[in-house]
Amino acid sequence: MNMIASTLPASNHPLAEIIYRIERGEALLPDAPDNVLEVVGILKSYGHVLDAYSINLCYIADHQFLVLFPFFKYFNGDVTLPKLLKHWWHDRINYEFAEYCMKAMLFHGGGKLDRYLDTPDFTARAQAAIAAKLKGNPVMQGVTAAFPGFLPEQVRQMAYYSALGQFWRVMSDMFLALSDRYDRGEIQSIPAVVKHVLDGLVAAAANPITYTVDIHGQPFEILPPEAGLTFLADAAVPYVEAVFFRSFPFMGTISYNAQARQIPAGVEDFTYGVLYADPIPVGGAGIPPTLLMQDMRHYLPDYLHKFYQQGVRGEEDIRVQICGSFQKSMFCVTTAAMLGLMPHPLNTSNPEEQVTNRHYLESWMNRFIESRLPNVQICEVL
Amino acid sequence: MLSALIWIPAIAALFVGLSPRSWPPAIARNLSLITIAITCLLSGALAIQFDALEPLTQFRETLPWIESLGLTYQLGVDGLSLPLVIINSLLTWIALYSSPKDIQRPWLYYALVLFLNVGVTGAFLAQNLLLFFLFYELELIPLYFLIAIWGGARRGYAATKFLIYTALSGILILAAFLGVVWLTGAPGFDYDSVRTQILPLSSQIPLLVLILVGFGIKIPLVPLHTWLPDAHVEASTPISVLLAGVLLKLGTYGLLRYGLQLFPDAWAVLAPGLAIWAVVSVLYGAFTAIAQTDMKKMVAYSSIGHMGFILLAAAAATPLSLLGAVFQMISHGLISAMLFLLVGVVYSKTGTRDITVLRGLLNPERGMPLIGSLMVVGVMASAGIPGMMGFISEFLVFRGSFPVFPVQTLLSMIGTGLTAVYFLLLVNRTFFGRLPDQFSNLPPVLWSERLPAIALAIVIVALGLQPSWMARWSETTTTAIQPPRAAIATVSHPFPTPSTAPTPTNTL
Repeated sequence: MNMIASTLPASNHPLAEIIYRIERGEALLPDAPDNVLEVVGILKSYGHVLDAYSINLCYIADHQFLVLFPFFKYFNGDVTLPKLLKHWWHDRINYEFAEYCMKAMLFHGGGKLDRYLDTPDFTARAQAAIAAKLKGNPVMQGVTAAFPGFLPEQVRQMAYYSALGQFWRVMSDMFLALSDRYDRGEIQSIPAVVKHVLDGLVAAAANPITYTVDIHGQPFEILPPEAGLTFLADAAVPYVEAVFFRSFPFMGTISYNAQARQIPAGVEDFTYGVLYADPIPVGGAGIPPTLLMQDMRHYLPDYLHKFYQQGVRGEEDIRVQICGSFQKSMFCVTTAAMLGLMPHPLNTSNPEEQVTNRHYLESWMNRFIESRLPNVQICEVL
Repeated sequence: MLSALIWIPAIAALFVGLSPRSWPPAIARNLSLITIAITCLLSGALAIQFDALEPLTQFRETLPWIESLGLTYQLGVDGLSLPLVIINSLLTWIALYSSPKDIQRPWLYYALVLFLNVGVTGAFLAQNLLLFFLFYELELIPLYFLIAIWGGARRGYAATKFLIYTALSGILILAAFLGVVWLTGAPGFDYDSVRTQILPLSSQIPLLVLILVGFGIKIPLVPLHTWLPDAHVEASTPISVLLAGVLLKLGTYGLLRYGLQLFPDAWAVLAPGLAIWAVVSVLYGAFTAIAQTDMKKMVAYSSIGHMGFILLAAAAATPLSLLGAVFQMISHGLISAMLFLLVGVVYSKTGTRDITVLRGLLNPERGMPLIGSLMVVGVMASAGIPGMMGFISEFLVFRGSFPVFPVQTLLSMIGTGLTAVYFLLLVNRTFFGRLPDQFSNLPPVLWSERLPAIALAIVIVALGLQPSWMARWSETTTTAIQPPRAAIATVSHPFPTPSTAPTPTNTL
């Protein structure tokens, strides 16, 4: 990315320095060797975890469709005693976290996927699939007749299972490819990381998001190609909004009291996403991000593991350190998303376009004021 | 065997104190640890060989020393002193183990801790009043230096205050001892010979008042307590452990041994007043603890309150309450030692003990979750939660005292409730909530810092579940030292008595 010959006046924004940095072609995260090591290392680990999450989300969407008691939904069809014991031992991939993210997307909606799920076309497709699934099951037919809204909502949820699984498939491959390029010496800076992610997003932007489920040997299209759902607009952008920014108040060390107006009245004002998450409570029981950090711990590359061991607490606070690195990496992904959606090229010399870009960046920065972005400007994990 | 408990650490203290300073400091530490480990083993052997059915002192050793003064080297142990001898060895070992390896002037430090152990053990074992007094004064010197040299910013003030108070305590006790011998015309200061003399009530009362004030300073009882919070705050963690765990018990031990047993008639007269004094101490300690913001001061005031329970039990002087008093001495020794150890770890990692500043230390990765969990165990034990030793001791005290002093006992029970109040405040403020950014990069807690508190927690829970393991040593003795009094309500024993305890016959 090239530095622009800016003729713009100085910004009054509290995060003006970061705006200038973006305009210079850099990223939200400062470019420093330790940051590159942390970001690439954690994205490699995240890539492995997303791979597992993606496979499981697609498995649930495809094979646990309207299964009322999906006891073995995390087993990907391979139910054995050793796997069951490992599951109970909890030294496993915490697929629950993937479901938290799926539910965040379902809750916040956004994009054409959300709108499509409220169309008559979807309702007809869902009812057809439900009727096929409940054939010969009078009990469930009776329950469905009593609560007609229940199973269609389950189908909507299944659609999000599938959409997130497809989205993470692309992201997993992209992050693992980034790690391979880093290992080959091709990635040496934070802007290079951002460019790799941006290129990956652009390349996959038009990939269709579809979902077909097989019931008794007959395929049922839940999200048909005709719906026109695509990777970037209908999965990536709603995902960033739902998971990076909004999310929902997780249980944790802070108790939110909605009646005391500690939770915003509108969901669009929610700021509980990964870019805002406090890493310090990570590791506590009932703190969902702990699950993701626990999962990533299994796949840390050696260089990153050694980097963490050099910290004051060594291995003891590794999940907090992972969370810190993960937030840094997510600011890189956010930079890529931000750049990908820029109204005009970053290196434009047109003053009007520069002003539009400046306003665009300031609107992003408004949302970052309360985020962890100011905390990651210094090169240490908090 | 009893002499070995005194002289092994004494010789080791001399050796450590006089060793060339060019030797590695680790030698001083290891030698001290080995020495006290030996005394721990000897104490254990003593407990095994101790005849729990025998109310009189056992393992007696007598050597003439200065006959003209009536001073003989006479040692013995009974059910009152045996648990205290054991806890002294145990806590001294833990204090040595918890001392920083890079402590300044290590040779002097370890020698003084060993001398402190000698003084306390000697005082518990002495069967001669003057010998007790010598040991009682002996422990004062090393403790003064341990606070004055290795203490906090105001260590000079705290050490001097401690010295003045406890020196006064010693003078009063010596005056009482001299008085009882002169007034009775006893042939010497041997405990048994003094105990068999007859003294009129009018002479007993002033002597008992001297004893009460003397040991009241040491316990300490309100309003003689003001040296203790200062001493605790300024003392280093291992010294606070010894101070709370063992040294305060010299006061309550003295009260039972030289107050209740030497002056039973006067005791019966003053007992209602003592029970009221106990209530004042309990409630004052508890209410003052609530107001504290320094963790160490809070535990120190808690000590003042909990020592009041012992005075209440001693005032009631029923077999059950006296057993409760011994239990409370050991229970408070273990629990307060544990709490001081944990506060010490918090202070060493965060640099503060201010509960208005500390927060969120239970954080699982960046805080000190095990230390916090142990603190919760410690405060539960201190508040008398069933299943731990604090419950047994407080239950025995209250159950034993209630028939004699019902109102005072009920008021003291409020103190137990208040213990939960101030310690929950401490735990809630310090350990719960979000870890502040200023404490988000604390150094890790080492296992060597966790182990002493874990060991104490195990003992506290074990004796909470199986109190008879300790009661069997003391029950016969505490039953035997019951003073002759009319109309004391009979309370059934909570633990099976091995056999019918003999009725005390040695009275003044």
